[in-house]
Amino acid sequence: MNSLDPRVVRLPKVGEEGKIFPKAPLDQFGTFEVFVQPKEGKPFQHEGIVHAPNLELAYVLAKETFTRRFVCVSIYVVDTRDVFVSPMTDGNLSAYEVLDEAKDGVGSKNFEIYHLVKRGKQHVHAGSVTAASHAGAMSKAKFELAQGKVVYNIWAIETSSIRFTMPEDREFWLTLPEKKFRDAADYKGGDKLTKFLEKNQTMKN
Amino acid sequence: MENLPLKELLYKMADDQLILGHRNSEWTGFGPLLEEDIAFSSMAQDKVGHSLALYTLLHQLGENDPDTVAFTRNAPQFHNCVFVELPNQEYDFSLIRHFLYDSAEALRFEMLTASSYEPLAQVAKKIRAELRYHTLHAKTWINQLGSATEESVSRLQKSLDYAFPYALGIFEQSPYESDLIAQRIFAGESVLKEQWLAKVEEMLAKTSLHMPDWKVIQPITGGRIGKHSEHLQPLLDEMSEVFRIDPTAEW
Repeated sequence: MNSLDPRVVRLPKVGEEGKIFPKAPLDQFGTFEVFVQPKEGKPFQHEGIVHAPNLELAYVLAKETFTRRFVCVSIYVVDTRDVFVSPMTDGNLSAYEVLDEAKDGVGSKNFEIYHLVKRGKQHVHAGSVTAASHAGAMSKAKFELAQGKVVYNIWAIETSSIRFTMPEDREFWLTLPEKKFRDAADYKGGDKLTKFLEKNQTMKN
Repeated sequence: MENLPLKELLYKMADDQLILGHRNSEWTGFGPLLEEDIAFSSMAQDKVGHSLALYTLLHQLGENDPDTVAFTRNAPQFHNCVFVELPNQEYDFSLIRHFLYDSAEALRFEMLTASSYEPLAQVAKKIRAELRYHTLHAKTWINQLGSATEESVSRLQKSLDYAFPYALGIFEQSPYESDLIAQRIFAGESVLKEQWLAKVEEMLAKTSLHMPDWKVIQPITGGRIGKHSEHLQPLLDEMSEVFRIDPTAEW
């Protein structure tokens, strides 16, 4: 392949001359949800997903995918299938109002509850509850965490399924505030373009 | 020249970081999956950042400015080990190099946090924090692929056997080894190598990979005194292309 990028030139050739092959099926990993704590004392918030073969690698890959630019102090990940989701509501109707109260008794499992309080924003950690099931956790959260607030969507995650950041690994983000060069604004692309166009104009005149 | 032992130490560490940072950055846009591409590229950028911090220390000791040092020397003036300049092959080789090199690098900067040369100890503390992630990344992949399928294990083992003589070349002795130890600047390559062998052996024991018989392996050295493979000069030409065309270019 002809390219100015030497790495492209070095890429392996695609296909074989004179032959036609069926396209290989996609070998696709499962997904994991990534939560980031932007500052000490601030709640964790949902940032997005990563593909990975398991929870531990999901954690490793999430760190650079979601926290290579903006300041943060901790992350955690969980298998997408471990996030239990309530119905979505709109207007003044809270998702808690459309849920039946779970009658599965007293439980001793810990759950993390996430709330979506503004459309188009992320789910933010609202608190933790103890219950017997995900449905039970949402019933409990209605009284302990929502307190009449309109919440459009609720997530419940069993705490034991989460891969947390170890306290000693918080050092990962120690130098992040110094990496301003990773910020798109730091590149000043607009200024460079203006300068380039001015230079070209001067040369033409 | 004053401070020769210290400068030699800083040059070889800075050159290692720059050359491997550049090599690993060649994967940007070509990684095996998007998330891994981002992670590997970020770590490559970290390594180039480490070289900048170390070249800055050299500049404070009277050497040229970092850009001049990085972009205007030719291969025989570089002090990196041959290991870091080897071209990328399949991803298994890059992962093995990342695992072997970063394990040594993390131990080295851990040791240097206690250096009697305070500016170096300060830089080492910051680098150590970043390497904490680099080694977690390397270890997690080696654990995963080193015990996964017959293909993944055999490919990693082949790369491990190929890489090991080069990896031993990381610890090529400096002519100033005893000065560095006496002045408590750095505890020396021998101590580092012992720690590294133990660490690598411990980590490999958790996988289906086996430790090469390092006692009978001849380390591939020479890089520290400017004797490089044919692969370094083309890398330098590519890396410094823009700088050589226009030293004032901003990009």
